[in-house]
Amino acid sequence: MALIRRFMPLFSKVMRVYPITVQSQKIHRWVAPTLMELKRREDKLGGKKTYPRNTYLEWNLEAELFAFGQRLNEDFDPDLLLQAFTDRSYVIKEEIQQKKMGIDIKMNDNRELAKKGEEFMSHYIKTYLESVLPKFPPEGIKGVLKHLTSEAVLANISLHLGTKDIILASQYPVEESILANTFKAIVGVLLETSAEERTGRFVRDFVITQLQGQDINEFWQIDDPWSLLNTFVEKDGGKLEPRLIGEVGKNTLLACYQVGLYIDRKMISSGYGETVATAKEMAARAALKKIFGTEDHMKPIDFKLEGLPKTASQTRYQISAS
Amino acid sequence: MSAKNLFLNSGFVRAPLQNGVGRYVCQLQRIVLKFCKSHGGSRGMRDFIEQDLVDFAKHHPGVVVYLKPRRHRSPVIVGEYLNGDRVWMNVHNKTHEEITKWIEVLRTQQGDIASVRLRKYQYTDHPSIQGPWTPFTFKDPELNTAELPSSKFGANNRLPMSATEQLRLMFEKQKISTKTEDLKIAE
Repeated sequence: MALIRRFMPLFSKVMRVYPITVQSQKIHRWVAPTLMELKRREDKLGGKKTYPRNTYLEWNLEAELFAFGQRLNEDFDPDLLLQAFTDRSYVIKEEIQQKKMGIDIKMNDNRELAKKGEEFMSHYIKTYLESVLPKFPPEGIKGVLKHLTSEAVLANISLHLGTKDIILASQYPVEESILANTFKAIVGVLLETSAEERTGRFVRDFVITQLQGQDINEFWQIDDPWSLLNTFVEKDGGKLEPRLIGEVGKNTLLACYQVGLYIDRKMISSGYGETVATAKEMAARAALKKIFGTEDHMKPIDFKLEGLPKTASQTRYQISAS
Repeated sequence: MSAKNLFLNSGFVRAPLQNGVGRYVCQLQRIVLKFCKSHGGSRGMRDFIEQDLVDFAKHHPGVVVYLKPRRHRSPVIVGEYLNGDRVWMNVHNKTHEEITKWIEVLRTQQGDIASVRLRKYQYTDHPSIQGPWTPFTFKDPELNTAELPSSKFGANNRLPMSATEQLRLMFEKQKISTKTEDLKIAE
């Protein structure tokens, strides 16, 4: 004991010179248990509640609607725009509430506007694609149109135009179908308030530009490219001739074959694959891309066409292999 | 910035919704200015509101501006973006000029970019223009007209140089050097 007492000052001196410190941020021991307890209580009351933006104190629907039009550089009719943002589910919810309170105020939902907008949109996009991709067959155009007017794409556009908070719906956050429907309705409103040409420009700027950086061929699945190519070539009076122009690593795991397609001893395309059959199919696909004008190195699609493109289904460029 | 920040999301440089391919849309959709009417910390904010706010709203009608006075609390700017991002910024004791500049920053950015670590400063959907490599990609065009089997293309040039070959080369080199020395002497 005496020994300890004697060396105590020395010990404390050493402690002072070499402080044993932990180099980390101090978080009190009570923080984690408290947060856990708070979370437990929150879960007991039914989980975390998120309030939609339009229930905040700083919310002015009129200002939001005005800014929506200004942001997109369009003149909307404010009443029609509000109607476009009113979903069917909201109207049903309101009617039930009004019945309870004994009042009756008529409300319009956006179904009709959406239908009008959808019709215009599909027609416009179809004619636009036909004039921009003159050699692409109608089935392919249909595939691209289906992609562009699909719910996911339209909902994404709608979300990025800022409709999410303005939409009047029974439940928040709003579903994808409601977002897509609202976008169609907005096109419908534009069609009512301004000329078709202006509406077309709106659709061009927000929907068709979604093709930027995409491979057009991916939207049309060709099951049998060989026979499709054959019909095109035979129509022109040519005869298709596949030739094996390269093979490497035969009978190994890394086998690679290259097949070239010839018409009149002139090569039109080549493809490669791990078997001769896949190489032939790839060659046929490459030839089809060449015929359709949608090769990998095609010019980017023109997103600046002015006015309404002509419906030129009859005068469309006749597809030929030559 | 490194990847050690566990809670910092990483991302690429992207324009939301192909912005600018069709037409430009200002990505800031609304801005909320919270301030105190009497506290000194909100002095700059009050100056901004008195002098510049109306002009700001006039020049940028696509941005909804809300003012939220609250007693004896720090001034705060909250920007909300079209992609759903929300930027909260404390501007306590900031001067009028500083606030003007910060609001300009909020207006011109496309989302909460400060909370994203950029993995690269460029981005492309199609990293290769040529397509995938195949054994036929860089084939020598001379092969097209060559008659096979040929000693030129059939030679096994993958083996290391043999000792005999090395000796032969050394001998040849020696021969050349002696020849030049002889020439020098003759001169």
